[in-house]
This record gives sequence, C-alpha cells and structure tokens, in this order.
Amino acid sequence: MRPVPASLPWVLAALLWLMAATAQAQLLDFSPAERRAILGHGPWPTAPVPDTSNRLVEDAAAIALGRRLFFDTGLSGDGTVACASCHRPDRAFQDGRSTAIGLGPGVRNTLGLLDAAGQRWYGWDGGTDSLWAASVRPLLNPREMAGSAGTVAARLRGAPGLAAGARQAGIAVDGHEAAVLADVGKALAAFQATLVSPRTAFDDFRDALARGDTAAAARYPLAAQRGLRLFVGRGHCALCHAGPRFSNGEFADIGAPFFVPGGGVDAGRHAGLQALRADPYNRLGPFADDGGAGAVATRHVRREHRHFGEFKVPGLRQLRHTAPYLHDGSLATLADVVRHYDQLNEDRLHADGERILRPLGLSAEESADLVAFLESLSD
Amino acid sequence: MAVWALGPALVSAAAACPLTPADGAVVAGDGVQAAWHVADGQAIEISRHFALQVRLCPAGATLLAVDATMPAHRHGMNYRPSLQPLGDGRWRVEGLLFHMRGTWALTLSAQAGSAPGGPAQVLRQTLELP
Repeated sequence: MRPVPASLPWVLAALLWLMAATAQAQLLDFSPAERRAILGHGPWPTAPVPDTSNRLVEDAAAIALGRRLFFDTGLSGDGTVACASCHRPDRAFQDGRSTAIGLGPGVRNTLGLLDAAGQRWYGWDGGTDSLWAASVRPLLNPREMAGSAGTVAARLRGAPGLAAGARQAGIAVDGHEAAVLADVGKALAAFQATLVSPRTAFDDFRDALARGDTAAAARYPLAAQRGLRLFVGRGHCALCHAGPRFSNGEFADIGAPFFVPGGGVDAGRHAGLQALRADPYNRLGPFADDGGAGAVATRHVRREHRHFGEFKVPGLRQLRHTAPYLHDGSLATLADVVRHYDQLNEDRLHADGERILRPLGLSAEESADLVAFLESLSD
Repeated sequence: MAVWALGPALVSAAAACPLTPADGAVVAGDGVQAAWHVADGQAIEISRHFALQVRLCPAGATLLAVDATMPAHRHGMNYRPSLQPLGDGRWRVEGLLFHMRGTWALTLSAQAGSAPGGPAQVLRQTLELP
C-alpha cells in the first residue's frame, strides 16, 4: 500500500469547507420579513383541533365505520357510487377530472380530502360549515350520490357489518332517519379527519430556517427558493394562501369564469351562503353535538353581493397530485395556474371587489421558479 | 402573532374617564371614548376568530357596531361582529376575523347615551397584522 501524502487531510478538509461554502451560497438572503412570512407556513403537521360539533371525531370505532362507509356504494341512490368513486385514495382523494361525475355530471372540480379536518368552510362555495355536513351533502345531491336520509338509514340498518359497526360507535341505528344521516356524516368525517398529508421538501426547508440550520436549508432547490420569494413577496400569493395549509380558509374572486357549460352561472360563495343557511345540518342546527357553541363563523358570517363568483381559496399541499385546478378544473397544470395569475384579465374581476390581484408580469424563469416552489409542496 | 396599534394611544382626555391602561388601547371621539383589547388573553392571528373586550366612557354610552376593513385592498371582514353589553360600559364583541395580513382599520360606532337614534361617533384605529 502506498503511503498517504501528509497533505491529503488538509486537501480533504479544504474540499469539505468548499462544499459547505457552496451549500451556504445556495441559500438566498431572505430578509427578516421574508423569513417571518416563510415560517408562518409551518410547522407541519399542525396540532389537530377536534370538531366540537362531532362527538364521533377521534373515536376509533367511528373511524373504522367511516372508512367502511367511505368505500360503500350502497349509500348512493342506485348503489353504484361511493365517496371513494370521486375521492380516490390513489389521487390524494381527488379524481383527476375537470369536473366531477357522480350519478350525473357535476359543474365543479372535486376537492381532495387530505387535511380536510379543521377547516371553517367546505366545498368550493363554502356551503357547509363542518366536515360531517360536507359529507352529508354529496349523499343527498342528485348529481353525486342521489341518496336520501331514508336510503342511507336503510343501508346502515340493513348491512350487518355496518349496523354492528355503527352500534359499536354508539350510533342509534334505529333512531330518526335524519339523525342517522347526520351520524353517518359524522362517522365519514371521523375517518376523513385521519387523512393528513405528509411532510414535504418545503417543510424541511422551513424548519431548517426556523432552527438556523443554513446547511440543511440550502438543500432546498434554488429554483424553489426563488419561487417562494415570489410567493411571499411580489406575487402576493401568501395574502390568501396563508398559514401551514396555504389557505386563509376564505373565498376570492380570481377572475375565473363562472359560466357553467350548457348554460347558467355558478354563483360560488354567494349561493353557498344561501345553502349554508338553509342546511338543517349546519352547526347551528339540531344535529350539532355542541349545541352550536362552536359555530362562531356560521353565526357571524355575512352575505354580500361581492361574494358572487367567489370560490374557496384552496390549500396548496399535495398540489402536484390534484390536477386539474380551479373550481371548474379549467387549468390543467401548475404552469397554467401560474400563467393565469401572470396574465390576469382584470376585466373579469369584480368592479367593486378587492384590489389585490394584478397581472404579475413574470419572466419565463420566474414562472418556472414559482412552479418549482408549488411542486415542492407535494411529497 | 402580535398586532401593532398604529392609531392613537392613551389620550389626555381619557384622564377624565375611568379608563385605565388595563382596558387597552384608547380611541377618543367627541364625547365618547372607547378602550379595547383582545378578549380571553388571545392575540389576533390571521384567519382566526377573536373577540374584543370594549369599555366605553361614559359608561352610559352605547356601542352600536364594530367592524374592520382593509382600506388598501378595498374589502372588509367576511363576518359581522355581535355585541353583548356586560354592564358598566363594558361590552364583549364576538365574531371578528382578519383573513389577511396587512393594515386593518378597526371602527367602533358608539353614541353617548342609550336613547335610540342619538348621534353616533365612529372611532377608528389602525392595526397592522404582520
């Protein structure tokens, strides 16, 4: 064996130093304000906040029942469609279609169900105020599962496995049909509340930044860092796509068309608020297990003309797996989404609406950076 | 997340009223003053509901409405707060939610007495939600 030159350790050390220095150079010089904004998008996952209106949430028997019900086509009017028909587990609980197809053609894109728990409003129009009410709604919708309180209760009572599971969860299977339907929704919600999206490259970067680990932070691709800078800065994206979920949970007009194929318009949030108030399964109704105590949002929400054509600000986690995008699934790729904001048609925005959105005017590289950042929010 | 008040701090006129620093930030109008703080020891966080504890001076004044807008964005809150009188000029205001970071203008409408239809004072304070 040849002797190791005495200078080799020094060479290696220099090389390591050079590598570390290079890695340091790959971390952008985020300002304190940018760092604060970035840290606001974590940590992930967040601590669960149980829904007080659902006594079944976090109950193991209810979760098991909800899982069975989620895949059960017997809940639909003709026995052919299950929740999982549109909310496919292999697609982040979305279906990949522009607009949903249940027992009839839908007019909106299917929302994924990862991180569904703990939201204030559900659906593109926010027509429901709890995950369990949001689970009841498609059971009854003629275009989705076309069931009724009667058919759902009959299914629960008639299928031995389901009936036993329901009794184990403390559900009064032979109770009033409307109450049984509410409890089916609550069991479905208990299952869906377990669907939490995994951590992502962004989360590792965000946490590294939080603990001052610049070497670890520098492993986050530079294009994603540049895209993130645009996201929290000039793009104003984080105004609405705020917090660890990348959504403020509210609604916005982004200049997307609200005409429905075949005629008519989708009034979005405006109609959603009407549906919310008429819904006997809302959090102020008789089926809320907390007597309405947790219904602060429902009690105080206001309905104004500006809500016409507004749709929910979706969370951005696992976005890569939930194409196509927007409430009508009209944008096929994340590049299309970035292009939408880049070339925003201001004439399509409400004349009396918010003054937030402007065409971004991005370069090709900036657009690619923003896409790189958005892709880093998926595993 | 901390909220920084950019508007008026304690004003000298408040000395004539039993408002104390513990009552919170003071906004003074012509004949009515209000002090407010976030209730329940909470802080204002983006997209989280919060409540205010408001104290009016004189104690016989009536709180008529509380609202907030983002003037630069030309929008307000998506929620209409409810008011609950607690007695002795104290009120609890429920249902506020700031859904974006940035500058919010908080308005408290009050009248000096409790007679319906009395002239209303609109007290404004600017808040920065970073």
